[in-house]
Amino acid sequence: MTASSAGRTAAPARRERLNPLTSLTAAAATAVITTAAGSWPLSLAVVAACLGLSVAGGTARRVLPAGAAVLVPLGLSLLWLHGLFFPEGRTVLAAWGPARITQEGLEFAGQRILQLAAVVLVLLLFSFSVRVPDLVAALSARGVQGRFAFVLASTLTLLPAIAARAQRIRQAQESRGLVVSGSLVSRARAFRLQAVPLVLSLIEDAGTRAAALEARGLSNTGPRTSYREVADSGLQRAARTVLVLAALAAVVLRVAQAGAGG
Amino acid sequence: MAEPVVTSSPGNAGKASNAGKDSNAGVPGKPVLAAGIRQFTFHDGQTPALQDVTVSFAPGSFTAILGASGSGKSTLGRLLAGWLPPGGHGLLAGFLELSGTRLEFDGGPGDPRIDAAQWGRHVGFVPQDPGSVLSTVRATVAEELAFGLENAGTERADMQVAVERTAGLLGLRNQLDQDPARLSGGQLRRLAIGCTIIAGPPVLVMDEPFASLDTAGADDLATLVRDLLKRGTAVVILSQMVDPLLLDADTWVVLSGGTVTACGPPAGMGAGHAEGSNGAGMLPRAIRRPAERNAAAPPKPPPGPQAGPAALQLRGVSFAYPAPQTHGERRRKRWVKAVRTGDSTPGTPVLQDVHLTVQSGEIVAVTGPNGAGKSTLLRHFNGLLKPTAGTVLVSGNDISGAPVGRTAAAVGLLFQQPRDQLFERTVLREVSFGLDRLVGPDMAAERAVAALQAVGLAKAAHGHPAELPASAQRLLALATVLARRPAVLALDEPTVALDGDGLALLDAAVGSAAAEGAAVVLVTHDLGYARTVAHRILTLDGGRLATA
Repeated sequence: MTASSAGRTAAPARRERLNPLTSLTAAAATAVITTAAGSWPLSLAVVAACLGLSVAGGTARRVLPAGAAVLVPLGLSLLWLHGLFFPEGRTVLAAWGPARITQEGLEFAGQRILQLAAVVLVLLLFSFSVRVPDLVAALSARGVQGRFAFVLASTLTLLPAIAARAQRIRQAQESRGLVVSGSLVSRARAFRLQAVPLVLSLIEDAGTRAAALEARGLSNTGPRTSYREVADSGLQRAARTVLVLAALAAVVLRVAQAGAGG
Repeated sequence: MAEPVVTSSPGNAGKASNAGKDSNAGVPGKPVLAAGIRQFTFHDGQTPALQDVTVSFAPGSFTAILGASGSGKSTLGRLLAGWLPPGGHGLLAGFLELSGTRLEFDGGPGDPRIDAAQWGRHVGFVPQDPGSVLSTVRATVAEELAFGLENAGTERADMQVAVERTAGLLGLRNQLDQDPARLSGGQLRRLAIGCTIIAGPPVLVMDEPFASLDTAGADDLATLVRDLLKRGTAVVILSQMVDPLLLDADTWVVLSGGTVTACGPPAGMGAGHAEGSNGAGMLPRAIRRPAERNAAAPPKPPPGPQAGPAALQLRGVSFAYPAPQTHGERRRKRWVKAVRTGDSTPGTPVLQDVHLTVQSGEIVAVTGPNGAGKSTLLRHFNGLLKPTAGTVLVSGNDISGAPVGRTAAAVGLLFQQPRDQLFERTVLREVSFGLDRLVGPDMAAERAVAALQAVGLAKAAHGHPAELPASAQRLLALATVLARRPAVLALDEPTVALDGDGLALLDAAVGSAAAEGAAVVLVTHDLGYARTVAHRILTLDGGRLATA
């Protein structure tokens, strides 16, 4: 099906040749290796690569806010914890009673934050750039249970679907004289008014949809097929194997190091 | 063709036309699906939703179950289809029988459990809200159609053939590569029907399939039903309107208040008599007859020339949805913004240089095929959509800079889907929403009550909007618009989901709003209805507005 969509142009078609499992494996392996290696140059390189790819792929406007929402609070808490209370810290930069800012503490916090940023960004980049239908098709083609593939897919499509529904409700309310201005109070009020019909309609929908999905055989246990053809190649399969092995090797190496060191 | 037998229970024998016939006596083919419902009560209901309903459907039989909104049709349909498994949401006393296997229920813990997947293989069901059957995880109409086949493990080549054939039957060939979330109301219904029939279930149950279908869609559906019947599928249509197709049914079952009040062949119930003189007693008044499609009917006299600016004026309005973008981010963004529009291939203008002037007191109907962009046109009246070129004037004022909420004081818009429009705890609060800011608290209470009375919902004022039947929800949404007494009344498919009583109330409300000086624009796929109410009829096709 990849080629049949009239609206698609040549450039994205090239991108789509990347099997979603390959990008999933790449993202997961990168996350594992970065965590296991615990080296800040590597983390920094991964962060930079993610930012570059998200800008190139046009997902930066979604990846960055989502990344910030996760990383800013976590980063601050890491700074607070390790920056102020790092027991192994020797080089004291400032001290207030039991709390002392040490160079080692700051370095450690910085490393952890970078590591975390690398993992979060690589996973966000994947989830914002993967074509969900391709991923579901690729998974079901590999015998992943229909129900599981569906849950995964709806997790990824849920937010846009809810946003679309909320948008329709807001339009209906605006058409009845609700003026949503930029102020926080006005927005909060509008949100309260939208939440009730949104939740009610989602619940009602979920009931009908569940019945419809059952009737359409979602929970069939037998073999299933896929209408959508997802590109794959020997090279990609090889790349996936290498990535999985590399991730495993990184973990083994890390465990061995920890064993030898501790 | 096997004669289906649908009997009422002995309790209703006197009223039923084939009373006295034993439920299975004299039937040539065994029924593929049957139900004997002594009583079905929802867990939260005080009175039974269904009582003494016995139906059975033989292969190749065509049954119409007719009833007004709230008569229990949908409950019966969902029970038959296995979508309302007894025990889950309510208690059933009686039996369900599928392909010769009879399941007895008495509402106790020992009741059998229905396997929805197995049941669904035999009984296909198209619910009233077509959007709710979609899987939501498929990117194109073709994949959505194939979803059930994928789960059954059908080979890809076979799936492609089936998808092509089904799309052809339902007139969806041009939409196969579209995102299902962007289909129009009528296209969505075609897709929902397609998703159900593609697997070829021996029984097909459809709940209000004609709602929002244009003439071509209704014709396609009629052809489809005849084709299915020929192939031995038992077809059951639940409807609150006597569509011409239903005149061909073998049996009509009339539901009222949750029980069967009449059943038998249509001829015996006065079908075919336009006035319904013989059968008037058999069919409740609330069941709609097809609108009198009398092309020769003289159009209503338009209101005289007006002083001052027109209530609504569109000058050279053009509109196109943003061109499609393939990357995840932009695609999602577009989806968020998507308003169900037409079959415009992406980037194609939906509206092109539209000029429209509507005077106070004038009723204008806009018709056009499913997906022509009718809803898109209405959304320009209050600024929900901004034209890419041209201007919209309400009472002489350009609305381009004003927020939608302010323009709404002068333009009332009724949406296709009432559920998106209702959000308060009670019917009265719903109608009162925003009124006090518009006219002050004293006047607001008075207007709210008057609007509820106008749509016949005064008694339900303290009920919860979500618990009203579909027709009443639609009327409530209408009341919320009427209560504001806007200068321009824009109604999107107002007849959909209304039963006969509702339609009469709608006609009266629209008529009196126009008499009081409102300019009314109603969008409808139903040309017959448009002819009965409008001063002027316009057609929207290919993005251009023309006199019909």
